[in-house]
Amino acid sequence: MECATKLQPDEQRLADMTAIAEHRDQAALGRLFDHYVPKVRSFCLAAQPGANLMADDIAQEVMIRIWNKAHTYKPDTASLNTWVFTLARNARIDYLRKNSRHQSDIDPEYLWQNVVDENADPFKDAQQKRDQERIKDALEKLPQDQKQVLAKVYLEGKTHKEAAEELSLPLGTIKSRVRLALHKLTIYIKR
Amino acid sequence: MTHYHPSIETLTDYAAGSLPLAHSLCISTHLELCSECQQQVRKLEMLGSEFFEDTKSEDRQLNSLKDSFFAHLETESHSATLAEQAKEEKRQMLDQTNESKALDWDAYKVPKSLRQFIPKGYDDLKWSRISPSFKMATLCNEEGGAQIALTRIKAGSHMPTHTHTGDELTLVLEGAFSDESGVYRQGDFISRDSSHKHQPIVTKDAECICLTVLDAPVEFTGWFTRLLNPILRRHHPHSGL
Repeated sequence: MECATKLQPDEQRLADMTAIAEHRDQAALGRLFDHYVPKVRSFCLAAQPGANLMADDIAQEVMIRIWNKAHTYKPDTASLNTWVFTLARNARIDYLRKNSRHQSDIDPEYLWQNVVDENADPFKDAQQKRDQERIKDALEKLPQDQKQVLAKVYLEGKTHKEAAEELSLPLGTIKSRVRLALHKLTIYIKR
Repeated sequence: MTHYHPSIETLTDYAAGSLPLAHSLCISTHLELCSECQQQVRKLEMLGSEFFEDTKSEDRQLNSLKDSFFAHLETESHSATLAEQAKEEKRQMLDQTNESKALDWDAYKVPKSLRQFIPKGYDDLKWSRISPSFKMATLCNEEGGAQIALTRIKAGSHMPTHTHTGDELTLVLEGAFSDESGVYRQGDFISRDSSHKHQPIVTKDAECICLTVLDAPVEFTGWFTRLLNPILRRHHPHSGL
């Protein structure tokens, strides 16, 4: 496609989302597959090293959800990356729920739904972009030890307690690193 | 306006998806009632997406995965759509039952995240009477050991002094109660560990309904109420172990 080459990768992916929602465009889904499937797989493998089959299953599940839910994606409430991250996170939770020793009766679909739909706000789009930019910039400047703890929580799916055990550090140290980091990222405001 | 919130660590674990589901259920319900924490979770999800975006891709060729994905796309997507539709219908039905209930002037509105366990409102649950002023209804027992329940305490009454044998999360859904550390109203979130011993008192104006997530059974510590411990234990999933 000629016009496709002129777009920035981010804009191309947004155009692909529209093409999926409006025209069921499989080529567009193919491009999103190439971009997101390796990410979803790495995200899963970080938590369960070596679990390739699980990573494949979750990645395919995420792509199905993108295909089926593209029309519900609202660019002004979340960036596409954030939206796909939440899909991957929820698919991982769902997979573990269905396949673990400790099966759960709680359906995660009901838990994260209500946070997504908020009332329309004309300033939200700008605000959302500003927040994301600020977090991205601050994350780059974060000291390694603070970044490491956050990565454990986000990528490896560890709770703060588990991260403390794994790094052989007291829970208090982990907590203060996280608070310091989140403060710099302007996420944590002391109440 | 809520005054007691989950800690930032708990919100982070929730946004990252590493919190146990029983705890996530409680946080989710709090978020419905607290826009401040909703905003924080929104930012924490943005942070998550930065880590997600930065993951190193492996060299593995994904062509065969892609081929098989597209070969099955239509059937997979069809069955996923059907499952999604069924879920959506159920969700709408639950919402409708709740909305129409909410029109009654005295009916409570059940938070969305709890409707999967409370399809028809609080009164239709199976309440067991633990004491004349204190009732309990189990919503779900997790195989991992957590018990998710509602407690319902009459206006102005004391709950027996108790300690927790594990962590306890409490979220006030209706009414208010107080203990030596403060007054808790709708939406307030309280997390207590096993070292904590307290005696909550419900305010005089209305009954109090709370969502509780218990990692292990509560133990009453008063000389008389100790007799109730076997009853509470029987209601907890760890019983019979």
